[in-house]
Amino acid sequence: MLLLKLLQQLVRALNSEGTPGQVAAGFALGASLGLTPLANLHNLVIFAVITLANVSFPGAMLGWAACVPLGFALDPVFDAIGRRLLLETPALTPLWIAVYNTPVLSLANLNNSVVLGSVLVWVVAAFPLFLVVRLGVARYRVHVYERLARTRIFKAVAASKLYNIYRLFQPE
Amino acid sequence: MRIVRWKAVGPLAVFGGLFALGWWLLADQATERAVEYVGAEIVGARVDVASADLRLGEGAVRLSGLAVTNPNEPMRNLFEAEAVVAKVQTLPLLEKKIIVDTVAIRGVRFGTPRRESGALARRSPTSGRLVREISAWAGSVRIPSLSVSGLTSVVDVSVIRPESLATIRLAQSLVSRGDSLEAGWRAELAALDPRPRLDSARQLVARLREADPARLGLAGVRALAESGRTELAALDALSRRVDGLDDQFKADLGDLRRAVQGLADARAADYRRALGMLKLPSLDSPDLSPALFGDMVLARIQPILYWLRLAEQYLPPGLDPRRRVGPNRARASGLTVTFPREAALPAFLLAYAAIELELDGAATSGPSAAAGRYAATLTGLTTEPALYGRPLTLTAQRLGGTAGPRDVRLAAVLNHVAQPIRDSIHLTLSGLNFAPALVPALGARVGLEDVVMQLGLTRVGDDLGARVMWRTDRATWTREGSEPDPGAAVGSRAWAEGILWRTVSGLRSVEIEARLSGTIRAPGLAIRSNVGQVVAQALRRELGAQVAQAEQRVRAEVDRMVSRGAEDARQRVASLEDRIGSQMAVRRQEVADARAALEAEVRNLTRRLPVRIP
Repeated sequence: MLLLKLLQQLVRALNSEGTPGQVAAGFALGASLGLTPLANLHNLVIFAVITLANVSFPGAMLGWAACVPLGFALDPVFDAIGRRLLLETPALTPLWIAVYNTPVLSLANLNNSVVLGSVLVWVVAAFPLFLVVRLGVARYRVHVYERLARTRIFKAVAASKLYNIYRLFQPE
Repeated sequence: MRIVRWKAVGPLAVFGGLFALGWWLLADQATERAVEYVGAEIVGARVDVASADLRLGEGAVRLSGLAVTNPNEPMRNLFEAEAVVAKVQTLPLLEKKIIVDTVAIRGVRFGTPRRESGALARRSPTSGRLVREISAWAGSVRIPSLSVSGLTSVVDVSVIRPESLATIRLAQSLVSRGDSLEAGWRAELAALDPRPRLDSARQLVARLREADPARLGLAGVRALAESGRTELAALDALSRRVDGLDDQFKADLGDLRRAVQGLADARAADYRRALGMLKLPSLDSPDLSPALFGDMVLARIQPILYWLRLAEQYLPPGLDPRRRVGPNRARASGLTVTFPREAALPAFLLAYAAIELELDGAATSGPSAAAGRYAATLTGLTTEPALYGRPLTLTAQRLGGTAGPRDVRLAAVLNHVAQPIRDSIHLTLSGLNFAPALVPALGARVGLEDVVMQLGLTRVGDDLGARVMWRTDRATWTREGSEPDPGAAVGSRAWAEGILWRTVSGLRSVEIEARLSGTIRAPGLAIRSNVGQVVAQALRRELGAQVAQAEQRVRAEVDRMVSRGAEDARQRVASLEDRIGSQMAVRRQEVADARAALEAEVRNLTRRLPVRIP
C-alpha cells in the first residue's frame, strides 16, 4: 500500500505541470517532514508553506515519503549533532537560553538533540537537494516522460479520482 | 508565475479548522496522558487519571480520579485524589512553562489498594536508576542474624571449607615464596663464587711465607708486596659484594618474617568469617537490635531516601543546563536540554497549594491508621528553585477526627536555591497503631499500638543525618506457630526459642531508633532498641556458655585446618634463614680469613727489610 502511494506520488510529481524548480522546491520542503520528527512546530509551518506557496504538492509528499526512512536511519547522527551543539559548544549556550525562553519559539523543541540535529541537517541539505532534484526532474522529462506517458499504469493513475483533488494543489 | 497559491487557502483553512477541532476534542485526553506520562516519569510507577478537563481560556485544569502508585508496593496507591483543580497562568504556556498559582485537592486517601499492578514495564532511566541504587544500598547493609539453630547441641563445622580460609592461602603463598627466594639466593651465591679469588690469595700467602728478602732483593720484595696489596684490594671488593648480598638477603628475610607474623591476623579474620558462616549470634546488644528489627527499619527507610534523591533530581540547584531523555515517540527520543535563565520563569512552578483532606477510612478495610482531617500547605514547588529564589516548604497537621493518630505535625524545608542543597524534615506522629509485624528472629509478631513516631532529618550537600524513632508502651507479642515447650532439653532449639519468647512476651515498652549518617548515596545505618538490650541480657545470661562453647569449636576447627600450613610456612622461613644465612656467613668468614692471612704476611715481609718500602 505504502509502496503504491509512493509510486503514485512519484508519477504525479515527476509529470505534473509544475516546473522542475517547483517540484524540487516541494521536494526540499517535504524532506523536512520526513527528516525531522513530524509532530513539531516547524513542520506545521513547513506544511503551511507547502500548501500556500506555489510549489509542487506531490513533490512535497514525495520528499516526505522518501525521507521518512532516511530520518529514522539517521536519528543517531541527528542525536550526536544535537548533543554537540546543545551541550558541547559553550559559545552557543546563550543562543539556546534565548530560544528556550522565547515564547512560541520554545514550543519548537529545538532543545531536543534529535529535533535540533535533524532540523539543522535539513536546513543545510535543503538547497543542494533542491538543485539536484531540479536537475533530475528536468532530465527525466526530456528523456523518460514521453515513453512513460504511454504506459497503462500512468494512464490509470492520471485517471483516478484522487488526481482531481491533487490538481487543487497543482502549481500555477 | 505567482508565488502564493491562493486557491489553497480554503483547504488550508479547513485543515486549520480540523486541527482546532481535534485540539478541542482531544485536549482533555492529551492533558490526561501528559499527566500520566510525566507523573510516571517522576514517581517511577503508574499514575492514572480518570478524566481531565482543560479550560485554557480560564486557565483551569481539573483532574478527576488521580491515582499515584506506590513505587515500593505496586498493588497499593501512594495516594488517590478525587479531584485536583489547578489555576494555571496561560501566557507562560507559550514558553512551554507551567506556572500553577493555586491548587485545590479534594478527597485524598493514602495507601488505598489497586485493582491492577501499577508497576511500570520499563521504568524511566531516572527513577529506575534510583530504585536500583537504593536497593543496592539496602542489600549492602549488613543485617546480622539472630539464629538459635547455631546454639543447639550440634554445631556443624563441616561448612567451614579450607579453601575459604585466608590463613591457608597466605601460608601456601609464603612457602612458595620461600622456595623461589631460596632458589634465587642459591643462584646469587653460585654467581658470587669466591673460590678463585680465595685460591689466588692463598697461593700468594704461601709465596709470601716462603719469600727470602735477601735473595729477592729490594725490587723483588717491593714487587711481591705490591702483589699482596693488589690482592688485598680484590679481597676487599669481594667482601663488599658478600656484605651487599647479605644485607639484601636479610631484607628479604625480614619481609618474610613480617608476613609470617601476619598469619595471626589472617587467622583472627578466619575465626570471624567462620563464625559468620555458622550464623552464631553476637551477644552484644548493638548487634542484636539490627538482627531483630533491621529488615523492618530498612523497609521504612528506603522510601525516605528515594524521595529525597528524587527531589534532588527534579529540583536541582543552580542554573546549569539540565538534561533529560526526550519524549517517547516512534523516532529516537534523543536528549532534551533545558536552559534556565535568570529572571525568567521556571519550567514548572506551583507557587501555593492548600490541601485539606479528610481520611475517613470508610474504605473496605475499616478505618485506616491515618484516618482523620488534615490540612497541608505547600509553597514553591519548582523545577528551577534558583529562579524562584525561595525554598520549598511543606507543612501539614491534623485537624481532628474520631479515629487515626492523635497528632500529626510535619514541617519540611527543601532549600535547593543554591549549592549546597539544604533539606530539613521534622515529622511527629502520635497515637499510631501498627498492624502486627513479623520479627523472624524471634519467631513472633509484634503489634505496636499508640506509637509515637518522630523523624528528624537534615541534609547539607551530600551529608545526611537522620533519626527515626518509634516508641510505645503498648506492645503486644503473638507467637508465630506453636508455643515453645517449657520442658525442652537444655541446649535444644526449642529450649533456645523458649528463652527468647519468655524474654520478649512480657515486654510492653518498645523503643526502636534508627540513625542514618554519612553520604546520601550510601548512608550508614545504626539501629538501637530496648528489645535488643533485653534480649541480649537474657541471651548472655542463659546462652552465653553455649555460644562460647560453639565459638570454641569453630576456633578449634579453624586452628586444625590452618595450623599445619602456618607451621610449614614458619619452618620454610626458618630453613631459608638457616641454609642461605649459614652459607652467607661461611663465605664472609672465608674472605675475612684470607684477607687477614694475606695482610699479616705482607706486613711480615716488609718488616724483615732493613729499609721501609713506600
